[in-house]
Amino acid sequence: MKKIININFHSRVIPIEETAYDILRKYVESLKKHFANEEGGDEIVNDIENRFAELFSDRLKKGAVCITDADVNEIITSMGRPEDFDQDEINTGTNGNGGSKTSSAYAEEATDDEPRRLYRSENDKMLGGVCGGLAVYLRIDPSVVRIIYAVLILGSFGTALLLYFILWIALPPKSMVTKIKKRLFRDPDHRVIAGVASGLAAYFNVEIWIPRVIFCLPLIVGLITSIFRHAFWFNYDGPVFFTGGFGGTLFITYIILWIVLPEASTASEKLEMRGEKIDLASIKNTIKSDLEGFKQKASSVGSEMKQRAEEFGTEIKDRSLGIKKDISSVKIPRQGIGHAIGVLFKAFFLFITVIITFALVAALIGVIFSGGIVLPLKEYVIHGFWQNILVWSTLLLFLILPVVGLLTWLIRRIIGARSGSTYLGYIFGSLWVIGLISFIFLIATFSRQFSTRSGVNEDVQMTSPANGKLIVQVDDSKPFYIDSDWMGMNWRHKGPFFNLSEDSLTMNTVRVDILKSKDSAWHLHREKISRGNTSAEARSLASQIDFPIVQNDSLLTLSRGFAITPKQQFRNQQVLVVIEIPVGKRILLKSNLDDYKWFNINSKHWNNNGINIDFDDSDNDYPNSWDTEVEYTMTVNGLERSGKNAGYNNNEQPENPEKAEKKEKPERKENSDSSEIKKDNPKGEYRYHKPKTANAAATNVADPSGENKVPESIATIALLTSMS
Amino acid sequence: MNIENTQSQMRKGILEFCILSIIRRGEAYPSDIVEEMKAANLNILEGTLYPLLTRLKNADMLTYRWVESNSGPPRKYFSLTEKGLAFYRELETTWKELADAVDALANKSERISENQEIKP
Repeated sequence: MKKIININFHSRVIPIEETAYDILRKYVESLKKHFANEEGGDEIVNDIENRFAELFSDRLKKGAVCITDADVNEIITSMGRPEDFDQDEINTGTNGNGGSKTSSAYAEEATDDEPRRLYRSENDKMLGGVCGGLAVYLRIDPSVVRIIYAVLILGSFGTALLLYFILWIALPPKSMVTKIKKRLFRDPDHRVIAGVASGLAAYFNVEIWIPRVIFCLPLIVGLITSIFRHAFWFNYDGPVFFTGGFGGTLFITYIILWIVLPEASTASEKLEMRGEKIDLASIKNTIKSDLEGFKQKASSVGSEMKQRAEEFGTEIKDRSLGIKKDISSVKIPRQGIGHAIGVLFKAFFLFITVIITFALVAALIGVIFSGGIVLPLKEYVIHGFWQNILVWSTLLLFLILPVVGLLTWLIRRIIGARSGSTYLGYIFGSLWVIGLISFIFLIATFSRQFSTRSGVNEDVQMTSPANGKLIVQVDDSKPFYIDSDWMGMNWRHKGPFFNLSEDSLTMNTVRVDILKSKDSAWHLHREKISRGNTSAEARSLASQIDFPIVQNDSLLTLSRGFAITPKQQFRNQQVLVVIEIPVGKRILLKSNLDDYKWFNINSKHWNNNGINIDFDDSDNDYPNSWDTEVEYTMTVNGLERSGKNAGYNNNEQPENPEKAEKKEKPERKENSDSSEIKKDNPKGEYRYHKPKTANAAATNVADPSGENKVPESIATIALLTSMS
Repeated sequence: MNIENTQSQMRKGILEFCILSIIRRGEAYPSDIVEEMKAANLNILEGTLYPLLTRLKNADMLTYRWVESNSGPPRKYFSLTEKGLAFYRELETTWKELADAVDALANKSERISENQEIKP
């Protein structure tokens, strides 16, 4: 009992057995192939088909119900097969039929006898079938060829890609059958993400979890090492390998395999994947095991079983007829430069899109993660109902949406799914525009809050230090706690600008400047600056800044930053501490003032686009730059390192870092074991010129001469080398 | 195998000439041609015929016209063109020459052997 189908054959409806149709189809395809290069080949094939149609109608008229295999084969025999055409055999009556091959059925056999030429594969193509053709020529699994080729492309910086397109143009297409015993597939039955790992497992005959672990290994190892790094107080400088390059490589490998490897859908493919012998027994077993799995899932078991049995039956018949694989419809060879260039662009565009999407996704993930950390800061910056909404809508619509859309489109292309409704594109687009608008609004309201800048100036009472020297330090008496959350990130511990705690935000945005005093007394100013909607608001916020400064005779203690509460909101509050030193006095700033040295208040005092800070002595010189742990003396020309010649050194630039370091090092060593009240003259000062100031001369006397000789020679050498 | 090769070579040579002769006698369609050849004891595959006819048509030796038939798809009826006729005449001359030559040689060998037999 066979299945009958109706075909439209040269504008006639012919009922024909399905198997007969298969034979006919294969014959016609072989004809087309045979006459492909011949001029008028299409016409020839058409004529032959016409003849077939005629003969079919004859038979039907004579009373046949349908065309059977036998009919088709008979006609084929009398028509002749393509290989016989070449020989052009005319036989006399004695030789019987056209001397054709005796096999009754028409089988498409693998091209074992043909001379080994390199073709493009017609039916095993991902892009152009180049790798498929190569695989048949080399007799290896096409997936392996593809993987090797992909690696080649990466390794040769894309040259291999060019070669691919050359081959695409140059090689003729040919419908070919791969006769590989064991092929690498993706296994859709045992998939977690895409079945890549399970396919690999089947091919190499290992347990399924092994390749999975290999793919996840860098992630796991990276996780463990990063936990090690951050969970402990000491600095774990151990190797943090595997997170960097390796993890990324394996991820990319997974994606490449996902794209390249075909899914094992039919039973024979599944068997090929495992490398089992493809015969009736193994097919039956495979189908059986599939069946059992299905039983558990399917609702109506009976119909499913029947279907399976039918498939099984067809499969057996295919096998017995010697047809190994279905040959997909023969495509019209589309050769030519135009087509090649079009394809080149398409592939290139796809490639670039993939790269961009990955970059965007990674960036988005980074943003999300950092957003999670920054979230507590949100209170300080954004207040009010509307602002919150704007922020969320911006985030979702403006940032996340396009990335999600791009990713979706890309995945759809890869798995070959048809794109959904065209409205999807419009919906995405309009949502993104809304996100853009909200983003613009957000920026507008944001900048409004920071529009005006204003400040409050306070004079701080200060007494002259006893021995004419002031030491400035930061109050480190209160220890602060380093906390880290579960991800091991110590982000809150010490940012350059701030610390974050439960109820307040501590800002380090302080700057200390040193000016020459106009009179012979020490002065101390404290400028508090803030931004706000209006200048009144800015001023009120500024005055709320709490920055105590305590003086204990020679020791001036600044507090470590200032706190702002959520109520106050972050409005770029800054503090400027100005110390005015009379000429001849000295100052030493301790190392924990490092943070306060470089921060730029951006005041108009020394360039033209800053806030205008109204000093009493605003026509003062430019402030002097200073280094920590260096003692300076205020001279007529500005700050100088104690004991230096005025003419030699510019205060603006510190000298060579090595020299500065050299000088600081012995001094620092000195400082570390001296008490708070420093000696008048720390040892190791480099003096080779006669100091000009009186004070320096005084210190000279106090210093034991012997100790200076050695460092002096070193200093000479150092200076000489720096000068050259 | 070798003898068959030679035989097929011989047959291949005269194929075109035979077909042209048939068509010269009147319009014919491929099926007819095959029948006639069979009747003359020369078997040819239809599949060989079609390409040959197309080639001749492309070389302007033949033309065809479609004839509708109610018992099947329309058929192509081939006929000789002027060029085809000239071509045919030339082939005819060549064939006559060949036939005479072959005939003579085949017979002559017999006569030679006769001569040799006579001479002692």
